[in-house]
Amino acid sequence: MSGEMRDAEPGPVAAAIGDAPVAGGLALIQARTLLVRPVEATFTLQPGDQPLVVAGETVRSGAPLADRVRDPRTEVVAGPPPREAVEPGSYWTRPPGRRSATGAGRGELLFRSGGRWRIAAGEHHELLESPFAGTVVDVRPGIGIRVRSSAIGILGREVLAGPASGRLEIVAPRDGEVRASEIDVGAAGAILVTGGHIDAEAITRARAVGVRGIVVAALGVKERRDVLASERRSRAATHGLPPFAILVLDGAVRRPIASPVMAMLERLAGRTVAIVEDPPALVVDDPRLELPAPERDLVRVVAGPLAGAEGRWAGLAGPHRFPGGVVLEAGFVEFAGRPAVAVPIGDLERFV
Amino acid sequence: MTRAPRALAVIDAGAATTAVSILGRPADRWRLLGSFAAPAGAPEEELLGILAARIRAADPELSDAIGLGKSVPNAMPRLESRSAPPRTLAVLGASRRSIALLETVAAGTPWRIEAASTESHDPREMTALVLRTEVSAVLLATGDPPGADERSAIDDLAALVAAAARRRPDLQVIVGEAIRGRRAWIDGIGPDAPGDPARIIAAPAVGGRRSADGRLRAVLDGLVADPLDARRTMGIAAASLADLLDRRIEVLEVGHDGGARVMASPGVAADGPTWAGVLTARGALVPPDPDELLVDQVLAWTTGSLDRHRMGDRLRDLRGSPWSDAVADGARLRLAAARAALVRISAVTPELSALPAPDLTIIAGGCFAAAPAAAVALAAADTIRRTGATQLAADPARLLGPLGTIEDPAERRALLADLAGDLLLPLGTVLVAGGIGHRRDDATVARLTLEQDGTSREHELTSGELAFIDLPPGTMARATVEFRSPARFGHRTRKGRVDVTGGLAGLVVDLRDVPLRLPDRRNRRRALLAGWTALAWPGEDR
Repeated sequence: MSGEMRDAEPGPVAAAIGDAPVAGGLALIQARTLLVRPVEATFTLQPGDQPLVVAGETVRSGAPLADRVRDPRTEVVAGPPPREAVEPGSYWTRPPGRRSATGAGRGELLFRSGGRWRIAAGEHHELLESPFAGTVVDVRPGIGIRVRSSAIGILGREVLAGPASGRLEIVAPRDGEVRASEIDVGAAGAILVTGGHIDAEAITRARAVGVRGIVVAALGVKERRDVLASERRSRAATHGLPPFAILVLDGAVRRPIASPVMAMLERLAGRTVAIVEDPPALVVDDPRLELPAPERDLVRVVAGPLAGAEGRWAGLAGPHRFPGGVVLEAGFVEFAGRPAVAVPIGDLERFV
Repeated sequence: MTRAPRALAVIDAGAATTAVSILGRPADRWRLLGSFAAPAGAPEEELLGILAARIRAADPELSDAIGLGKSVPNAMPRLESRSAPPRTLAVLGASRRSIALLETVAAGTPWRIEAASTESHDPREMTALVLRTEVSAVLLATGDPPGADERSAIDDLAALVAAAARRRPDLQVIVGEAIRGRRAWIDGIGPDAPGDPARIIAAPAVGGRRSADGRLRAVLDGLVADPLDARRTMGIAAASLADLLDRRIEVLEVGHDGGARVMASPGVAADGPTWAGVLTARGALVPPDPDELLVDQVLAWTTGSLDRHRMGDRLRDLRGSPWSDAVADGARLRLAAARAALVRISAVTPELSALPAPDLTIIAGGCFAAAPAAAVALAAADTIRRTGATQLAADPARLLGPLGTIEDPAERRALLADLAGDLLLPLGTVLVAGGIGHRRDDATVARLTLEQDGTSREHELTSGELAFIDLPPGTMARATVEFRSPARFGHRTRKGRVDVTGGLAGLVVDLRDVPLRLPDRRNRRRALLAGWTALAWPGEDR
């Protein structure tokens, strides 16, 4: 343990939360919200993407939400005549009979300048499908589509690419790591839980064999950069790849998946789930599903030499001097039944 | 009849942490009784309750005297400042040159900037930028008349922004007069533009004249003005403090979402105290989505063995959980990131850098709160380099922001007068001399004589030396520096004499280059930094 122990006793029991009494000061620990329900997800659109739904419409899982352009560009066209009152953001298709030597012939109207319209268009299109059933709340061309669902979402920190859906498979323990050689074609169509870390090679392999998504505790900047570059390449390719998404639960520095999150993922194994970007979450379309709730006094160390360790909150410890000559407010935590040790309260998180 | 309050809760709700303090007035003056900080989001009542309990436990009589034993903390009167998340401004221009001008102006404001020009982005990309939901305003300005490099694209840009304004009625549009008069803008925005007409704001033309740039900066500042914003109110409090102490004060602040550099001066004759400064999103400890440039900036101040990828990982996590990882190497990483932020703040405030060294420099911001005093002093000396002497102090309880929310200057001044001794933690004094030149040998280039309480101590100083000399808090001394050859010490001189005050870091004597030049070779740079760090972060603290 990095902290210097004091002779102080663990803090007094100040309040009873739920059934079990919890030591005082727990409210000072950063609360991590695990679940969101209902889910209201926003699917980002770029200029050139054509929405295929309208606000108020009910959509089922897999229903097309928008026609996305994979190779968007700007084109200059005559567009609708000035007498037609059209708004920027409308979708325009060249009327039959009018010819043009080049161009896609359809696209989103951006603006009119010098008597001609600039449109966002492209040659290659793909469908954006709703990963769960719900009701379309808002449609804003070039900005996004918002869908509300009664589904349950397990929140993460960020999502790269996506959305994507598939059956959930756990291929590594919560502190494990998956290597490229461990991913085979049997995982095609699945969303894999890969533990604490995954390297760029394994992500590339997963993408190649048709894996739809990855859930991982931490993704380093190198892997992140590789994923984003790969995503850009695949979008620009003539034949696009199936949707793929990575849900990062914690951050960039390697650490295990938090046990309450892992317990939920284990409960969901084998079910069809989806990864959505906003909010960054793993969504399961079953509002009646009961997921295991974390214990109220469970805290997790998020940084420092004990990062990833979990224990029970034992109360405030007061200001402590830690290595580096740093004096910080600390709390007592009991790890695996051992005597409580002082940990900076900023290095802890609790689950709500 | 109501009784005057004898206890006051002070809250600074920052983006990363919330700091609470309790002020008490047991007799005839206000005192700082205690302070406490926790990650942002912690309930303020809980924080105040814990703090009140500690004060009661430490001094029950004092608690009784101010009524703390009987009152519920959330019933106490409060002073509160906050840090709102910065808003994003899309800066569009018709050429790289005009974008550079606009960016320079906007960088001196609290806006987070996303820039695009017709030379680097196509119309679809620029439209996508303006339509992004996190973009809350767009700035489009040109020279008046537009420059030759702007004319070909100006109509397209006007039409593009007008179309975006029609699509997003919530978008604020700051647009130059030269644009608003063009047919492309008038046709594009139409007579029936949705949304509040006041969201379309006139921008002065830009072009190198400082007055025009200042007007544009004032427009941008005005759009994000928040009377409770901690950075803004900190400037107001600094001005009152400057007047109270009759000292020129500089405040340097590095926060989660931005930073500030404020210069406050006491009032002269009938004129009241003044402050001027820059609140900038570029002063954030770790800006959102840290990129390679930021990694390089921070790596330049580190002595550890982190490679670029691992540094990127650490910075990304520091951005995500700014309250965590403040111990051991995490503490040193924070100060490296803080140095990089101070360098960025310095880069957008050349007019403040050109001023003489202030009498007092206050270091503020959560990243400095827990670090050793000498390490904080060294971080300031490394980055804000002006020759001369300045006293250094910290605001560990983060009182300046909340105290600046008091609207009545006399009331604010009175409270500051009571608290001046409590709110500032003396770190020491920094003496910086430049223009000494390099000598390869260890020959003496200057002699420092420190006179204190009738005794004097002499120190021989070598070229490029950095020295920490013990001078405890509360002590004063007279420092005389005699140079072998003329050097810059405020001005060019052979001999300088200044009064210095002690602090936790003592007296820092700094004969390094002004500005500081570090070797390009990584191993040499790290060795140099490690040597300096060892002075500020000695023994088991490292």
